[in-house]
Amino acid sequence: MAMNVVVCVKQIPDPAAPASLDPVTHTLERSGKLILDDSDAYGVEMALQLAPTDAGNEVTLVSMAPNGETSGLRTALAMGATKAILISDPALAGSDALSTAKVLAAAIKRVEPDLVLAATESTDGYTGTLPVQVAELLGLPSVTFAKSVSVDGASVKVERQTEAGYDEVTSPLPVVVTVTAGVVEPRYPSFKGIMAAKSKPVDVLSIADLGIDAGQVGAAGARQEITDVSEAESRSSGEIVVDEGDGAARIVSFLEQIKVV
Amino acid sequence: MFEWNDEQRAIRDAVRRFVEEEIKPRVDELEHGDTPPYELIRKLYTTFGLDQIARDGFKRTLERKQSGEAPTPRKPGDSQAAVTLITIIELCHYCPGIVTALGVSTGLAAGTIMKRGTAAQMERWGLDLLTLDKIGAWAITEPNSGSDALGGMRASAKRDGDEYIINGNKTFITNGPYADTIVLFAKLDDGSDTDQRTRKVLTFVLDKGMDGLEQSKPFKKMGLHSSPTGELFLSDVRVGRDRLLGETEEETGGGGRESAKENFVTERAGVAAMSLGVIEECLALSIEYAKDRLLWGKPIGDFQLIQLKLAKMEIARLNVENLVFRHIEMATAGKSLTLAEASAMKLYSAQAATEVAMEAVQLFGGNGYMSDFRVEQLARDAKVFQIYAGTDEIQVTHIARDLLNR
Repeated sequence: MAMNVVVCVKQIPDPAAPASLDPVTHTLERSGKLILDDSDAYGVEMALQLAPTDAGNEVTLVSMAPNGETSGLRTALAMGATKAILISDPALAGSDALSTAKVLAAAIKRVEPDLVLAATESTDGYTGTLPVQVAELLGLPSVTFAKSVSVDGASVKVERQTEAGYDEVTSPLPVVVTVTAGVVEPRYPSFKGIMAAKSKPVDVLSIADLGIDAGQVGAAGARQEITDVSEAESRSSGEIVVDEGDGAARIVSFLEQIKVV
Repeated sequence: MFEWNDEQRAIRDAVRRFVEEEIKPRVDELEHGDTPPYELIRKLYTTFGLDQIARDGFKRTLERKQSGEAPTPRKPGDSQAAVTLITIIELCHYCPGIVTALGVSTGLAAGTIMKRGTAAQMERWGLDLLTLDKIGAWAITEPNSGSDALGGMRASAKRDGDEYIINGNKTFITNGPYADTIVLFAKLDDGSDTDQRTRKVLTFVLDKGMDGLEQSKPFKKMGLHSSPTGELFLSDVRVGRDRLLGETEEETGGGGRESAKENFVTERAGVAAMSLGVIEECLALSIEYAKDRLLWGKPIGDFQLIQLKLAKMEIARLNVENLVFRHIEMATAGKSLTLAEASAMKLYSAQAATEVAMEAVQLFGGNGYMSDFRVEQLARDAKVFQIYAGTDEIQVTHIARDLLNR
């Protein structure tokens, strides 16, 4: 049976480029070119492994980004995703995690997926709250921190990473699952895939298209506000030990001191 | 064009990731450990689906050949030049030798068979070379004729009934030590007293292990260690007409001489892209070093003599990049470089790459002379750009001759 999988993906400013914060809202400046968040590549890969698109399955990307930015989406489409839904609307500026979840949930609903995958958290915001909010808004169960996912008929089996090891969790479909980084090796896009990506459908929607009221999202609807940003304390420099023949003993004594050995 | 477009950038980023993850950790074994590059090149091909693209392209070319259709002129906008050149540039940030090994096998060896071979010969050798299932060599240079390869060629193919007996030595043959398939040029000895220099140049396809064919061990070279280079010794190698490319001695379309020459433009554009890769890497490493390296309490980048080096490197980068972009623009418009243009592009780029890499070594000082800092490898590698695919001196003559003959 063909599967219909949605992957929530975030397009973020390139972490390799210098980043800046908006002086008024204290939020990350996102006006430039955005790339696919590395942590989302695992969700995309997992989706493509669970639902190979060359076997009639569908993998739909759902993303929210300013200025109709699609660069990051094209990367995931080049890997093999079928299509994308991008919600881009000036009213979304200043959205907090819950506002974003409302928007993504409304878009995901249109696709009626069997499975929704997301990363555990984004690499720029790190709130880690969005996927479960999406699940709650869609009325779906959620399983977080998956290190392995397999679909068996109408249910999904997940090995859920814990501090002690992992839990084996089974849930009926549809379900929202977050995958941890490193669970799968994201594939390289083939050259053909890269060339095909530009003609794959990207449905750009406004909040009006989703029937969402502008007052509920963006800065207007945000329940979370960044009130202040301060410089992180600079790391104190480490202790430099000159080896005078007692280097090894000094290392052992240091390790004992911090109770590593 | 003044920068890569989104699609080209996506290809560059994907190849860059492959180079960082797969090639960078193995540079030492490729450059100093006698590890042939072929498994890595094959991985590059399968990773990006280039083997499948090669299969599809082969099928189209073969069908055209079988139906007697003329090759379809390239449609504007239909060019793969950017994709090929981006791959070359990125590989050359770490390992120019890999590009040489790859280019000779798929470009020169497979390319010659696909342009000049019969349908049967294309099927027999072409596809395996294009997909890298087999590795190819292209053997023209001899110990006493490099720049004068066609005129001074001594290797002979003597008619013997329906067969030929080939004798001779070939040297500086990329992939020579490991090649499964060898495209070999030799002068026809038809028993007449035709002057050696003007005899017909025939092209044959040989297989590894044939009686009388010996492939040497890899040479020890100044650089480009990731590209195995060797000698071929041919002693009474007996071949049937099925191994004579095109199965004809007639020089239709110019024969072996033209076949050798028609590779010049592609090969020279490729060397310009290789040069760009080396220049980009040397410049990036030099900028980083100029910021980090402290002397007299300040970064060496604060000193004007260092700034001059960086400025000259940037000028070279811009110029070579512009030449590469121009070539891509022309290919996309369905136009080819003239011989003068291709030769000028190669001459300038090769000199620029060598100069930039040597200046990078100088900028790094004592560290530059050490392998860990990588610029010494790139400097040794870049030097060959001025020698192979036509020496600087030959490029000068080709530019001048093309201009004067108009």
